[in-house]
Amino acid sequence: MYKLEKFVFLTERYNQMILLTDQLHIVVANSGIQNGLVAVITMHTTTGIGVNENLECLESDIDNALKRLVPEDLPYAHARILPDYGSTAGNPTGHIKSMLTGNSCVFPVMEGKLVMGDAQDVFLYEFDGPAKRTVTITVIGE
Amino acid sequence: MSVVIDIHTHPAFFECINTDPEKLEFRRQNMGLYKAGVTPLQHIFNQMNYAGIDRLALLPLDLTTIIGKSVVSNNEIASIVQETPDRFIGFASVDPHHKDAVKTLEYAFEELHLSGLKLHPSKQKFYPTDSELHPIYECCIRHNKPILFHAGISLEPDTNSEYARPILFEEVAIHYSKLRFCLAHFGWPWVTETAALLLKYPNIYADTGLLYFDSAREFYDHVFKTELGEHWIDRSLRHQVMFGSNNPRFEQIRMLEALRAMDWRETTLDLVLGENALAFLG
Repeated sequence: MYKLEKFVFLTERYNQMILLTDQLHIVVANSGIQNGLVAVITMHTTTGIGVNENLECLESDIDNALKRLVPEDLPYAHARILPDYGSTAGNPTGHIKSMLTGNSCVFPVMEGKLVMGDAQDVFLYEFDGPAKRTVTITVIGE
Repeated sequence: MSVVIDIHTHPAFFECINTDPEKLEFRRQNMGLYKAGVTPLQHIFNQMNYAGIDRLALLPLDLTTIIGKSVVSNNEIASIVQETPDRFIGFASVDPHHKDAVKTLEYAFEELHLSGLKLHPSKQKFYPTDSELHPIYECCIRHNKPILFHAGISLEPDTNSEYARPILFEEVAIHYSKLRFCLAHFGWPWVTETAALLLKYPNIYADTGLLYFDSAREFYDHVFKTELGEHWIDRSLRHQVMFGSNNPRFEQIRMLEALRAMDWRETTLDLVLGENALAFLG
């Protein structure tokens, strides 16, 4: 048995962290599944999914660390017109940050509830915003 | 900081005018934006707010005698502007080959209250000096409305650059000195032709909607500091260059950041980002 729900976000900044934990709890609670797994997956290649503590200071540190690792002003090969799109691909840093953070996370579900550590929260990372983003939350189990 | 206006955007994929999937696909194929997604207005506002853009000029295109319809119609532009007049500036388009072109334009200015005219010589298959354009130019002068011409190469299908070389517009500038018009995309790749025309004719403007290679910073550095002398805009053309992104084909936010990073006087940046557009619009 599984239950999948999609959530659409209109992000507001170039790089942004959006808390998803509440949505996870709701999907798990509404799924009717007692024991299994819940997966959070972003449907894009310039966003990420991360698990971390929900603190302003960490948000800044994560943002700054990724900016240091992936500076905007390097000569990226992805800075060009893409003929298949007919438009520019100006977002190489978004793709690379997405690769670094990964695009998903998984948590156990037990007795109809999400099993998470006290400090754990789930985030959608926007790396090429503002944009329209879709995240799937899927519960698999019985 | 002064007002920031993007004088060159295409609303073809705005959600509010894309309820018909066939029309959406037609727009993708016609404009050569093959994977463009439907865009909610709130997303547009989010982009504007993040980038610090106050207003967007929205451009339609009338291809009635070429393919039997408009890519985006004047009525659609008017409907978008009517919903949010403080964020959008609506342009009209007419097909110069159509016998009712001037009548359509009069209606667009007088009844739809559109602010200028968009023409695309390569797509609409005309030379700027063709006699059928003369009454259209006179109509714009009569109504004190500017024209934004596509100029230079176009990445859209079924376009031929021979119609849109910047130098072809010189005769229009000479004969219609009261007509304000813009050579979009700075006429790329003929940017020195465009610069020469701007130098001589104060009624000609150009926009910055060019990002054909590289990142925005790299390409603007190449065009505005190497192909053109690095001081030409700041010293001589500062009242005639306007920020235009050609969004969604090009990167609106990163293009704006690249312009803000140019070595221009702060007052030049204010002119390019918005004040020149206000003068152009009249």
